[in-house]
Amino acid sequence: MPRGITPRLNICHMYPDLLNLYGDRGNIMAYRMRCLWREIEVAIHQVNIGDSVDFDRMDFIFLGGGSDREQSLMAADLAEKAGALEQAIEGGVPVLAICGGYQLLGKYYKTLTGDIIPGLGILDLYTDGGETRLIGNVAVEVELGGIRQTITGFENHSGRTCLGKLDPLGKVMAGHGNNGRDGMEGARYKNVICSYLHGPLLPKNPFVTDYLIACAVKRKWSIPLKPLDDSIEMSANSVMLKRLLGP
Amino acid sequence: MKKARLFIALITAKLLVFLIRLLGRGKGTSLPGSIALKIYPGLISDLSSRVRKGVIVVTGTNGKTTTNNMIARILEAGGGRVLINREGANLINGVAAAFAREMNFLNSRAFDYACLEVDEAAFPGVASRVRPCCVVITNFFRDQLDRYGELDRTIALVRNALKEMEGTRLVLNADDPLVAQLGRSTGLQSVFYGVAEHGGVTRQGAAAREAKFCPFCGHELAYRYYQYSQLGSYSCPGCDFSRPDPDVEGTSPRRGGSFTQCRVRFRQGSAVSLEVPVYGMYNLYNALAAYATTLLLDMDPQKAAGFLKGYRPATGRMERFDYRGKPVYLNLVKNPTGFNEGIGALVEMSGADLNVMIAINDNDADGRDISWLWDVDFEILADCQERIREFVCSGYRAEEMALRLKYAGILTSRLVVEGDFNEAVSRVLGGGAGKTCILATYTALWPVERILSGYAKRDHTPAEHLPHVS
Ligand SMILES: [Zn+2]
Repeated sequence: MPRGITPRLNICHMYPDLLNLYGDRGNIMAYRMRCLWREIEVAIHQVNIGDSVDFDRMDFIFLGGGSDREQSLMAADLAEKAGALEQAIEGGVPVLAICGGYQLLGKYYKTLTGDIIPGLGILDLYTDGGETRLIGNVAVEVELGGIRQTITGFENHSGRTCLGKLDPLGKVMAGHGNNGRDGMEGARYKNVICSYLHGPLLPKNPFVTDYLIACAVKRKWSIPLKPLDDSIEMSANSVMLKRLLGP
Repeated sequence: MKKARLFIALITAKLLVFLIRLLGRGKGTSLPGSIALKIYPGLISDLSSRVRKGVIVVTGTNGKTTTNNMIARILEAGGGRVLINREGANLINGVAAAFAREMNFLNSRAFDYACLEVDEAAFPGVASRVRPCCVVITNFFRDQLDRYGELDRTIALVRNALKEMEGTRLVLNADDPLVAQLGRSTGLQSVFYGVAEHGGVTRQGAAAREAKFCPFCGHELAYRYYQYSQLGSYSCPGCDFSRPDPDVEGTSPRRGGSFTQCRVRFRQGSAVSLEVPVYGMYNLYNALAAYATTLLLDMDPQKAAGFLKGYRPATGRMERFDYRGKPVYLNLVKNPTGFNEGIGALVEMSGADLNVMIAINDNDADGRDISWLWDVDFEILADCQERIREFVCSGYRAEEMALRLKYAGILTSRLVVEGDFNEAVSRVLGGGAGKTCILATYTALWPVERILSGYAKRDHTPAEHLPHVS
C-alpha cells in the first residue's frame, strides 16, 4: 500500500428498501464500523430494484431476506444480474447471504405444494418448504481463517436447505440449522458465507465480520487488520452461549 | 345448565384472581380467564351481551392501551359505567378474566360500555364473541415477528374477521395506508382520523417504513409528506386509493412541557381545541382516535375534549415519576416504531442533561427475537450523546443492548451493563442528571416499575396546573 493513501472498501447492500427484516442492516453497520475503527474508509452502494451494479468493483456484497412478496420481487430483479454476480463470486468477492438471500443463491426452492421456484443456481444447494417454522436462538461452531469459534444468532425459517458438494458454515451446537436434521448450518464457497442466522450475525460475531473484511482487504493490499477491543461483542456472544450450552 | 356453568366459571375466576393477588403472583390477568373459559366457553359472548350500550374494541400495533384508556376516560367522565381490560391483558384469556372479574351474577353491576384493547392476533377470536359496536384500529407496524409471522398476514387476519361483522363501525387512522385500506376492503361504515400537514412533517421516508405498495393494485405508493414511519399523505399512481379525507383531523400540533395541543377540524366544518397531558406525535394520534370514537358514540365535542384533558397515562406510557425533585420518565418499548417514538420524545426533552436506562428482556411476551433492536434509530442518540451522561443497559439482553449502542456510535465509556434491575435502577437514578428516562420491554417494565416506585413518587400534577405555551 502506498503511503498517504487511505484504503477504501466498496460495500454493496442489495435491496435495502425491500429487505429490511430482522435487523438486516445491523450487518452492514457492523461491517462499516469495524472498517472505520481501523481507518479503512467505506462507501456503501445501495442497490434497489432496477438499479445497475458493477459487482466486480465491490469488496463485499450483502444479501438479506424478506417476506414472500419482497423475496419474489428481489428474485426477479436479481435473475438479470445472476451472471455478473456469479462471476464476482468466482473471482473471490466476499459475500454474506442470509435467509432468503441464502436460499436464492441455490438451485431452487420447492414449496409444500410442489411448485418449484428456480434460484440463481450459483451454489450447489436446494431448499424444500417445511410445515413448521424453525425458530429460536442458535449456536454454531465454525472454523474461520484457521480459528475455531462459536457464533450465535437467531433463526426463523420454514425452508429446509440441503447442501450438495459444499461445505457448511459450521456445526449446530444448539438450534435447528439448515434443515433441523443433519446438524449443519449455513454454507461456504470461496469467500461466500451463507447462513440462516440473523440476530444480526455480524455485530454479535465480530470474528465473522473481521474474516469478511480481511478477505476484502487481502484482495487489494497486503495490510494486516488492526485488532479491536471486542469486550462488549464477546460478552453478548458468551451470554447467549452460556444460556444455550450451559457454563 | 348454562346458567350453572357460568356461575361456576365466574366463582372460580374470581377466587383465582383473589388468590393470585393474595399470593403476590401477579395481577391475575390471564390464568383465571383461561380456566373460566374451560369451564364455560360461552363466557365472553354471554357476559358481553349484557353490556348495555356496546363493546368497543381497540386493536393495531402501537397505542392500543393508551387509546383504549382514553376512550374509557371520556366515557366514564361522561357518566357511563365502563368495563375495561387494563394492564395489557389483551389476549382472549385476559378479556375473559376482565369480564369474569368485573361482572357478577345478579347483574347489579351493569355496564354501559366495555372498552377492550385486543392484540391483533387475538382479534378474530375476541371480536366474534363480543360483537363490537365499533372497532378502532391505530396503526400496523412490524412487531415480534417470531410470534405472528409477517405483517401482511396479521392485517389479513384482522380484515377477514372484520368482513364477518355486520353493523360494526370502524374508526380508522387515515394516515396509515395499511389501516385506511380496511374501510374499502371490508365495506364497513368507517370514520377516519388523522393529522394535517404541519411544520414537523418530512419529505423523506424513514428506514422502518412498512407500507410501500398499494394494497389494492400493488403499485408503489407516492407520498406528499410523512408524519412518521409510513404515516403521512399517500396516493396510489395505479388506482384511486389515497389518504381518505379525515372526518376528525388534528391541525397545527404544538408541544408543551408534558402535554400536546392541537386544533381539531371536523369534516362538517366546525373546530375545537384539544389538549392532552401526554408527550409525542404518536400520543396525539391516540388522542384523536379516542376522540373520534367518542364522537361516534354521540359524545358532545366540547365535553369530550374537556374530559380528555383529565386523562392520566397508564404505567409505562411516558409515565412521569418524581425522584428528589427531578422528573423520571418510564416508557414501554416493544417494536422499532414505538422505540423510535420513545427516543424522539427523549431527544425533544428540553433543558438539562439526561440519564438513560434501557431494559431489554426476551421472554415470549417481549418477542424472543431481539434483532429488531437493529431496526431502531439509536444513531439519533449518538448525535446528542454529549447531553446523555450514561446509558445503563439492563435485562436478560443487557449486553446486546450495549452492543447495539456501541455500533450506533455511542462511546463505550458512556455504556454501563447492569443486568440486575435493582442495581440498574439505582445506578440510573444516582446518575445526577436533571432528567432520567427509562425504556423497557414488556416483561422488564413491571419489575422496573416496582423498583422505581420504591425510590420515586408517581407524579400526578394535573394538566390544568401546567404552564401553557403561548
Ligand atoms: Zn393502487
